[in-house]
Amino acid sequence: MLTYILKRLLLSVPLIFGVLTLTFFIIRLAPGDPAAFFIQPGVSPNVAEQIRAQYGLNDPLPVQYVKWLGNVLQGDFGRSFSRAQQPVFEVISEALPITVTIAALTLVANFTFGIIIGIISAVRQNSFLDRFLTVTALFFYSMPEFWFALMMIILFALKLQWFPASGLNEIGAESFGPFGFFLDRIWHLVLPVTVLSINGSAGIARYVRGSMLEVIRQDYIRTARAKGLPEKVVIFHHALRNALLPVITLIGSSLPFIFSGALFIEVIFAFPGMGRVTVEAIFARDYPLIIANTFISGTLIVLGNLLADVLYAVADPRIRL
Amino acid sequence: MMKADGVMRSYRGTALYCCFLALSLLLSSCTSGSGNRERGSAAKDTTLVIAMLGDADFLNPVIGASVTSSNISGLIYPSLLQSEFDTTTGLLNFLALEKQLRPSIGGKKPEAALAKTWKMSADHKSITYILRADAFWDDGKPIVSGDFSFTYRLYGNPLIASPRQQYLAELIGADKGSVDFDRAIETPDDTTLIFRFFKPVPEHLALFHTSLTPIPAHLWKGIKPEDLRSSPLNQKPVGAGPYRLQSWGKQQELVLASNRRSNLPKPGNIALINWRIVPDYTVRLAQLQTNAVDIVENIKPEDFPSLVKANPEIEIKSVGLRVYDYVGWSNIDQAVYHKTGKTVPHPLFGSPEVRRALTMAVDREAIIDGYLKEYGTLCNTDISPSLKWAYNRSITPHSYDPAAAVSLLGKQGWKPGPDGILQKNGRKFSFVLYTNSGNARRNYASVIIQQNLKAIGIDCRLDVQESNVFFENLQNRKLDAWMAGWSIGLEIDPLDVWGSDLKKSTFNFVGYRNPRIDEICELAKGKMVQTDARPYWLEYQDIIHRDQPVTFLYWIRETQGFSKRIGGEQLNISGTFYNIDDWTLTPSATHAP
Repeated sequence: MLTYILKRLLLSVPLIFGVLTLTFFIIRLAPGDPAAFFIQPGVSPNVAEQIRAQYGLNDPLPVQYVKWLGNVLQGDFGRSFSRAQQPVFEVISEALPITVTIAALTLVANFTFGIIIGIISAVRQNSFLDRFLTVTALFFYSMPEFWFALMMIILFALKLQWFPASGLNEIGAESFGPFGFFLDRIWHLVLPVTVLSINGSAGIARYVRGSMLEVIRQDYIRTARAKGLPEKVVIFHHALRNALLPVITLIGSSLPFIFSGALFIEVIFAFPGMGRVTVEAIFARDYPLIIANTFISGTLIVLGNLLADVLYAVADPRIRL
Repeated sequence: MMKADGVMRSYRGTALYCCFLALSLLLSSCTSGSGNRERGSAAKDTTLVIAMLGDADFLNPVIGASVTSSNISGLIYPSLLQSEFDTTTGLLNFLALEKQLRPSIGGKKPEAALAKTWKMSADHKSITYILRADAFWDDGKPIVSGDFSFTYRLYGNPLIASPRQQYLAELIGADKGSVDFDRAIETPDDTTLIFRFFKPVPEHLALFHTSLTPIPAHLWKGIKPEDLRSSPLNQKPVGAGPYRLQSWGKQQELVLASNRRSNLPKPGNIALINWRIVPDYTVRLAQLQTNAVDIVENIKPEDFPSLVKANPEIEIKSVGLRVYDYVGWSNIDQAVYHKTGKTVPHPLFGSPEVRRALTMAVDREAIIDGYLKEYGTLCNTDISPSLKWAYNRSITPHSYDPAAAVSLLGKQGWKPGPDGILQKNGRKFSFVLYTNSGNARRNYASVIIQQNLKAIGIDCRLDVQESNVFFENLQNRKLDAWMAGWSIGLEIDPLDVWGSDLKKSTFNFVGYRNPRIDEICELAKGKMVQTDARPYWLEYQDIIHRDQPVTFLYWIRETQGFSKRIGGEQLNISGTFYNIDDWTLTPSATHAP
């Protein structure tokens, strides 16, 4: 398996590199100008030109690419155009932990709720509870997340005022002490994580239900029941384990969705995470930051997929990598 | 046995889940070390909280470009003069400690000014400032004239690309391409500062252009110009103003603490100012409504009623008028211009009569009544009614009159075709009206415009473009008709937008050309007393109103939501935080500990 992992890791290097090269050219060919902000009446027309010269955007595209390549191979992704010339990895190192937190919590919540709902639906197939859960899951699954987020804010932050509408912490939360600060942080994360995970868990629930139903009909389940095992043991030990196998692969493949979900959740809830960094970088045509973000998210997605494949092999001894 | 095992497993699972939860939360809380320890909810009564759309970029007046940066730099750094906008005349006034350009209306002592007085030379080619000797940077070093000459060199350095380098346009050498700083700025001693110009400059303009904010030379002089933008000093500014930077959590919050040692001026009653970055508009509104923040700028008129109803502790304040929307009609045939460099009238919008007819066909009042309500005013030209000294009151706005528009178009040869659409020489009056995405006001207006034009037989299709794309198309003069807006400066200088030299006047997107306009602008600028230029500006407005290079729609009052616990604020066209040192915070029930 180790050789397999190494092989996959080696293969991912040209893949990520190809993605970065594509991004490099696409963003430069897209309309828009990183110095556009300085083109306005009352500002000398020289300013935009000087800014472009500073950013090295006056060179022909191939020259820019070669320079960029040289820097990237030395691990230098440059400085952000739009964020006060901060080195891009500094910007990302501030933003990434926030997104990873949201993504990790969402991932856990997704699978916890998804699996529970899926099992209930499968075990009570065609009951009222199953239909209710199915309809509810589909309802949330088909709801646009940004709209859902705004509805949650209106209900829980505006009307009921149970949860805050934005930010990672209250103003002055540092004086609450470490535990108070921690609770305050949880309190701020309830709404965004709920929004992100309801949608995802609805999808996973449908998946688990289908997979469970298939397994429950197998002969060995009938055998388990026939030998008098309690229903709980049959469901959780015999059926669930096998039913979860295909679900494991979802962990890897749901990562990109969670990351893209975090994109607008961070904008709506004012979290300074990767999603917001990316969106703002794109609007500001901040080339170095866009490329560095693509690098980070691309790497995470490749690693996520690798993880899913490895987990699959770990869970199912029949699969050899 | 099996049951016990199952329970154990589920315990283990829960414990693992909790550990994971704790770990990831800890991970994210580690990164937010910003903020200060002495604040708590009890401290809210001395903390003013402002919700902002975006973060500051550089806390350095030489390169800071965003509005947030300017607002914050204004509180951190000292200024040579204090300026105030006289609402009775619309003139900008400049005040030093012992001298003022015009009598001050507020009667406020200009304590923030570093200059004691100034003297303009008789030939208007130099201005000499005498600085006060009791002003100090935060690190205790005195503020001297050398700080100004040092900073002006940075403003003028092309490697630094300061967005304010236009202010140096009259200094000696600027006419030859680069300012000759040795001759243009002289500092005979620590309290004397002399600026020299290559041409006579009116006093108000000289004051405006020589009062750029200084930075401490002793801290910055070791930094190479090309490294200025990446210097850590931009993030930890040393100033001398009433506030100091206390903490800055990037993209989260920026906290200013009052600087008790400052005499430029002495800080007011607000101990801490917290600028929170909340990118989403709906969330900013929600925060204002729940008293989580005190100020939210640029609230849309459609949100006023529900906001004030939900929280009576909020009031809407407005300032203006500096911003207007317009419909741009390409005056020249852009395709021919790009191909040959020649200017020929646009086949649809080339004649002033047609453009006038288009203005008369648009029900501008309906847009104001339907969207802006009392926060909008009909716009005739780009000279704001707030600039009372130059505003032409005798202009009668083109009223909404579809019948007159049809007859005017008829005289120009535009007759209804078989499908009801106007035609001339086989060409239909049909075009696409572009606007930028994400602007609810312009979307609202564009739909009304489309309906109005349809009613007189003009086929107008709407298209929305991403802002960057839209702006690039405008700049490259690729659009025939569009809807956009301008925010005007407090000094009238319209040549950028209407100048006949299309290569030089890069913002003349419509390609409007009228030699008399060029002439008037030069004549007005040449007057050494600002108000002497009034006759020229009156004529200017008459011409622009007659020629209608664009359809001017409406002036917009910028609206801000304020918590009523703030007292003493005077909103001014020159900025929301113009007199923040006079503000007070009243403890309110919702904010009491």
